[in-house]
Amino acid sequence: MTLVPSVAAPQPILAEILAAGLARAGDALAAMSGHEVAIVGADVVACGSAQLIEIAGGPDTTVVAVYIGITGPLHGHALLILPLDGAHRLAAILLDGMVEARVDGEHGGATLEFDALELSALQEVGNVTISACLNVLGQLFPEPVHPTVPQAVIEFAGAILDSVLLDLVADSDEILAARTTFAIDGEAIGGTIVILPDRHSLELLADASVRYVA
Amino acid sequence: MTLVAAGPLLVAGIGELVASAEHGSTLVAYGLGSCVALGAWDPRTRAAALAHFMLPTGPAGGPPAKFVDRGLEAFLERFAALGGSIRRAELKAAGGASMLSVMAGALDIGRRNSEAVNARLAALGLKLAAADFGGSAGRTVQLSVSDGRFHVKSVARSAVL
Repeated sequence: MTLVPSVAAPQPILAEILAAGLARAGDALAAMSGHEVAIVGADVVACGSAQLIEIAGGPDTTVVAVYIGITGPLHGHALLILPLDGAHRLAAILLDGMVEARVDGEHGGATLEFDALELSALQEVGNVTISACLNVLGQLFPEPVHPTVPQAVIEFAGAILDSVLLDLVADSDEILAARTTFAIDGEAIGGTIVILPDRHSLELLADASVRYVA
Repeated sequence: MTLVAAGPLLVAGIGELVASAEHGSTLVAYGLGSCVALGAWDPRTRAAALAHFMLPTGPAGGPPAKFVDRGLEAFLERFAALGGSIRRAELKAAGGASMLSVMAGALDIGRRNSEAVNARLAALGLKLAAADFGGSAGRTVQLSVSDGRFHVKSVARSAVL
């Protein structure tokens, strides 16, 4: 699932651009992990911030999120959000048995504890995935779009999104969202990629999208 | 950690406020990051209100508690309409975290939100009885209308202010 805020950018064009970015992200993750990885679909829809939080799992649901800031010609925020069980499974697949799956009675059976190796692997997944999307977006501009250093957190989905949405929704309550599905070795692992350019960046993206079509 | 409420649950979404004087009901603000939840509870009338403020200041329009500066008045009006006396009320607040270190320096909205709540209350001659501000953890807040318990939970801990 990929989420992008905008009221101005043409949704089908952005969906096409994001699909290309997600395909590259899948290839990059496959090269990194040695596993078959596919990230497909980019169903872009407009929604409010509350709906965005529900889509990402609900405000009170504990998730693993990898945050990356967007700099360069575009400014904003990007997140990879994974449910706890999906994050554990993803880390276990990518680390090829170097960590054991752990469960407890809460959070849908998944433990809140992630060791440094798991968090590092998930941080790198977020880095590779989001950077691939930003690279494709950057091709619309003379200069590349740069990601900041990734930061992984284990938190309420609502609290994470609340923090990154605050500086974006001061003058607008509408957000554009696009959904995507991740599959690794044929196993579906739910996740959400959120790309949130600021308002000025969205206007730049809208203009660039028109040029992209022309 | 699942929230348990015996009676009706009224949820203050981002920028929203809720109020009740119904025994057994609970007011909730889920998933506060940089946002701040402000609660008021009158021990005599057992009226309660909870706001989920998003930003310290901003233009008119939008959800009633989106901005602290404009939303506080609406919050106080809703509380008073249910029989709550703000002079008698227990005022408590939580939130204002800085969860992502790479963003903290640039925005620091969590700190600004908590400062705005304190400043606006002080301008009215009011002060918080208890607060849980700052840090790097998200929070969920629930306010019990029956007894005024102001429960703050995060992924790693849970406390009653």
